[in-house]
Amino acid sequence: MRKKVHKLFWIWQLEKEQAWVNDMAEHGYALVRAGRFTFEFDDSEPGIYIYKEIFLKGSSTSSKNIEYFKFLEEMGITEVCAIDYPNTCWVYLRALKEDYPNGIELYSDVESKITYESVMMWYLLFVVIVCGLCSALNYYMAFTPNNGVRWLNLITASGVTILMVIALIDFIKRVIRINKLKKERKIHE
Amino acid sequence: MAQQALTEAVYYILLSLFKPMHGYGIIQNVNELSNGRVKLAAGTLYGAINTLVEKGWIDQLPENPESRKKEYVITKAGKAVLEEEYSRLKELVDNGKTLMEGK
Repeated sequence: MRKKVHKLFWIWQLEKEQAWVNDMAEHGYALVRAGRFTFEFDDSEPGIYIYKEIFLKGSSTSSKNIEYFKFLEEMGITEVCAIDYPNTCWVYLRALKEDYPNGIELYSDVESKITYESVMMWYLLFVVIVCGLCSALNYYMAFTPNNGVRWLNLITASGVTILMVIALIDFIKRVIRINKLKKERKIHE
Repeated sequence: MAQQALTEAVYYILLSLFKPMHGYGIIQNVNELSNGRVKLAAGTLYGAINTLVEKGWIDQLPENPESRKKEYVITKAGKAVLEEEYSRLKELVDNGKTLMEGK
């Protein structure tokens, strides 16, 4: 039977969302479709699947990404669904847990890990800039002289500022992670 | 200029492809060759295969209609690179032996 769950995860909550999807799979609900706020699950044997969420450049239907999904399929990793964003996509992969008992790890070398973290880092920077511009515009509109304080703009600006700060913290975390990996690359592969 | 060092993954992928092999076969072969020490992840292997094909060090074999899996094999250029890397590694081991074991 299909089960629909509405839940919101922000872009910086990739790991948290993946843990939740895997927890659902552990309880016999296998993810089959995902939207921005909606997740659909089918009944399955508890703990049979393991999920991995990844961010890729380009659309999920681009020939480059389709080739990649075909290759992963040879390794027993299937693309379940994807959500497309501007020039990037968020992809939900799954495999049998017996084939990947320690989770699906897609990168075993430092270079690929740096490349992957960089995609995430630039996307977060984009979110920070958009949120920054949006909040600045709303602050400006809220305090335009001779009109008094516009509360709706002020509330919007404050909300977007909070989102910007959270995205900025995650962006900084990724920058630190990338720098650590780059240092490691100097002495190890 | 001397050839730059190959990564462990590339070295083992090239070695594996003396026999035509598909992606999953390469992962298993590398795992066996290294006694379980080197575990190639799918994304890393995909990136490496694409780069090696671009460089002309490996070739993709014509697709077999019965199997959807793509197979790859090392090229003459790939073998030359592997030989050079073998000499480099041998030099490292020989120098290690001389200085660490006093031989």
